[in-house]
Amino acid sequence: MLMWNFHRSVAGVHSKLDILQGTLDLMVLRTLATLGALHGYGIARRIEHVSGDHVILNQGTIYTSLVRLEQRGWIRSKWGVSENNRRARFYSITRTGEKQLVAETENWERLAAVMGRVLADEGQTR
Amino acid sequence: MRRALRTLAARAWALLHRDRLDREFDEELTTHLELLIDEGRRAGLSDEAARREALRKLGQPNSIRERHRDQRGSRALDVLTQDAGYALRMLRKSPAFTAIATLSLALGIGANTALFSLVDSLLLRSLPVRDPDRLVQLRYGAGPAGFKKISPFFSQTQFDYFREHNEAFSELVGFASLDRPLVTIDGATEADPHVDQISNNFFRDLGVTPIAGRAPETSDDAVAILSYRFWQDRFGGRAEVLGRTITIDRQPFVIIGVAPRRFFGVALESDAAIWIANRAPMAQQVIARIKPDVSATQAQAGVQVMLNQLAQEQGERADRVGQAELVPAGKGLSQLRSQYERPLLALTALVVVLLLITCTNIGNLFMVRHAARKRELAVRVALGAHRSRLVLQYLVESVILAAIGGTLGWVFARWGVAILLSMLPLPFVPSALIFNGDWRVVAFAVATSLLSALLFGLMPAWRAGEINLGMLRANEGGGAPRAKRLSGVLIACQVGLSVLLLVGAGLFVQTLRNLSSVDLGFNPDGLLQILMDTRAGGYRQGQVGGVYNQLLTRLTGIPGVHSVTAVRNPLMRGLMSRAHYDIPGVELAPDESWDAAQVSPSFFDTMGIALVSGRTFTDTDATRDQFPVIVSESFVKRYLPGKDPIGVRLGQQQRTEIIGVARDARLSGVRVPSGVFMYNLLEKEPDRINALEVRFSGDPAAVVPAIREEIRQVHPRLLLSVTTMRRHIDDSIAKERMVAATSTFFSVLGLLLASIGVFGVASYAVTRRTNELGIRLALGASRGSVILESLRGTLVMFLVGLAGGIVAAVAAVRMTSALISDLLFGLRATDAANVVAAVALLILVTVLACLLPARRATRIDPLAAIRCE
Repeated sequence: MLMWNFHRSVAGVHSKLDILQGTLDLMVLRTLATLGALHGYGIARRIEHVSGDHVILNQGTIYTSLVRLEQRGWIRSKWGVSENNRRARFYSITRTGEKQLVAETENWERLAAVMGRVLADEGQTR
Repeated sequence: MRRALRTLAARAWALLHRDRLDREFDEELTTHLELLIDEGRRAGLSDEAARREALRKLGQPNSIRERHRDQRGSRALDVLTQDAGYALRMLRKSPAFTAIATLSLALGIGANTALFSLVDSLLLRSLPVRDPDRLVQLRYGAGPAGFKKISPFFSQTQFDYFREHNEAFSELVGFASLDRPLVTIDGATEADPHVDQISNNFFRDLGVTPIAGRAPETSDDAVAILSYRFWQDRFGGRAEVLGRTITIDRQPFVIIGVAPRRFFGVALESDAAIWIANRAPMAQQVIARIKPDVSATQAQAGVQVMLNQLAQEQGERADRVGQAELVPAGKGLSQLRSQYERPLLALTALVVVLLLITCTNIGNLFMVRHAARKRELAVRVALGAHRSRLVLQYLVESVILAAIGGTLGWVFARWGVAILLSMLPLPFVPSALIFNGDWRVVAFAVATSLLSALLFGLMPAWRAGEINLGMLRANEGGGAPRAKRLSGVLIACQVGLSVLLLVGAGLFVQTLRNLSSVDLGFNPDGLLQILMDTRAGGYRQGQVGGVYNQLLTRLTGIPGVHSVTAVRNPLMRGLMSRAHYDIPGVELAPDESWDAAQVSPSFFDTMGIALVSGRTFTDTDATRDQFPVIVSESFVKRYLPGKDPIGVRLGQQQRTEIIGVARDARLSGVRVPSGVFMYNLLEKEPDRINALEVRFSGDPAAVVPAIREEIRQVHPRLLLSVTTMRRHIDDSIAKERMVAATSTFFSVLGLLLASIGVFGVASYAVTRRTNELGIRLALGASRGSVILESLRGTLVMFLVGLAGGIVAAVAAVRMTSALISDLLFGLRATDAANVVAAVALLILVTVLACLLPARRATRIDPLAAIRCE
């Protein structure tokens, strides 16, 4: 899933946000897999909470992620009523989304390990 | 792939429902904001502070909305423009590929569109009138069996009688073409516009509404309607033209309307410029619309009854009444349709094959290029590109190619139709047939382009879907075996289709050659045929001879004219009479007869037909009780073999004597074999003379007008036409020439494409295996075996294609032989020599195409080859 923005990188538009987006997608999937149906606010709160407020995001960015995931059929949404009695969209993970979560988690761990090794190597030669 | 489609679909849907999605997202965002405000309040903030804190956490609502919208939809467009840009760059990077692909595609699509346009206007499209499907043309056959002539012309009396008495038709309209009318506008004479006289109800009852002015009413007299084209050309499309006067044959007509752009009259090949209604009687063609609840058979019976009744009322003999016939007229009347229907369909089949070759060829070139790009693609996959994106990439690339090819093809189609029409034996190009941007033609061109794109784009796209990281391995030069196989299959298809194309074209070319090289038995060069109608001139038996003598004196007096001869029936039009005589010592079947011509004494000199023995007719031969005849060589061979025919007397009373034997000649038409034939001397006072043959020298453009003028001076209505015999013969094989020329062009194109395909695959095979071939050479393999080895795969597929093509071609001609046999002359559809020639040509071209790659294979430097990886 991190590869998702390949085309942008080819076009030369590198940015930190891109990587963050990919990571954010993964966090959203994980959250939904753990907690079931949630609205945008709930997801954002949960991510902040679990990360111990290490991930501080503009909560609005979560929606881009949600649209993206929905377009791919990894999550689905339906309207419901929030705890303050307003109409809100509730998102939940799909079967393909769960599979994807497993695959991407592995990917992420591998990448993290590789990154760790590579960075450590850099540190020694310096 | 599925995911890409799904995303694409979701985005497309989102684009279409933009407003609703915007509103919904606003609601979602508001809820989120309020939940954040609630959170702040719970933490003890004031309303104002809680709101500020909430907005800080959420981010700028506007920019969130913007990004949400982007993600939802417009990104799809981004992706497509990106792909299109990339595709254009790729196409620019390989100009040879792009040029070959677009050009061949343009020719393929252009050829198909051109033929579709012709097929559409001649065979498919209905006249732009009300209820065209129920329109019929009335005709009747008159004369004894065997000499029956079908005529579409009815007298004014008949037409009026039909309109009054018929029960089967809801409307009946009549029209007649004026013969070379003199049209003047403001005193200036117009250059030969075609004028149709029409019945007053013509426009109204056909259901054609003028785009300016009005249609003639029953009460109108001396009114004119202009065709759209004439209105544009002559009056610049100005509306003030209505009410102006136009003079036709010295009679003034008031212009009351302009016909719609796409209405050219009921006859497709006559471009009426002006329609006039003046209630003058005319010999007219009749178009009728059958009532919805009446069958065609009932309607025909009805017309027969009316013909009989009218004949009875007028006291005509019952046996001279013709047989009524109804012909569908909804697609317009056409002399070309029956003749050109099959040729057009045959050519359509050929251009479809051509387009298939084109698509296979491009598919193949794509594949070869794909093989070269495989590493690049694998790198992209490694960097995270989705395979679906690669597939999409290829599809976008092929759609772009098809779009360029289709656009160019549209231009080619326009030219193609113009070229094809110029090959028709018509005095001018009919508007009804010229290439127009009709929506059906546009739809056809677009559909053909897209279908082609799909056809050649899916092959590499499918291969792109199989890209994997394994292809990054250093020594990956070999290519997947499946790719090789697919490429081979494509080559086989191309070769097979080429065989099909060549066999088809070969048949038509051979037909034209046979027709052009037919031994006519007379000299058609420097010969003019004048068609005339002594009856229309009002000459009865007893007067015709005198007219002929007058014409003879006048015409032989023209400089350049050497001799003139009269024939009762025109030559080369399948109009010979039949003769039957008892022959001594020969048992003839009761109905056995042969072709015969009644000619004047100068006939053999004028025509250049050699006499084998005996003598020709003289002016003194014509007596009341002796009938000299000259027979053909075939006549002698058939009926008097081994005898001296001169002096043999024929007929029951033996008053007919053979005085000479002439070489066989084809006088009925190029296609009618010469054979048993008899020449009778034209009587001194024949009932009619319908043709004169003139031997002349010099420029026909100088002689013909002089002839016209002389004949006009004898009687203004005598002359029908003057044509050179060569021109008439050429026109009579115009169809074959068109089919042969067109199919030759297409098959050369197909052959060229196939050879490019073979060349491409063969060179690729050599390049791909440079390394291996180098090693073989280094190990001592002979150059010859290396060549064979490097091209073996290509050759095997070539042979497979060849075999398949031969089988398909033989099957195709067998299946269609009933349909195409009357397009052929002098050979059968299943002609073996033709297939052999096609195969030989294909082998020759393929060998040439393989030559260059083969040479390269032998030039491989073993050391360089081994070092190169």
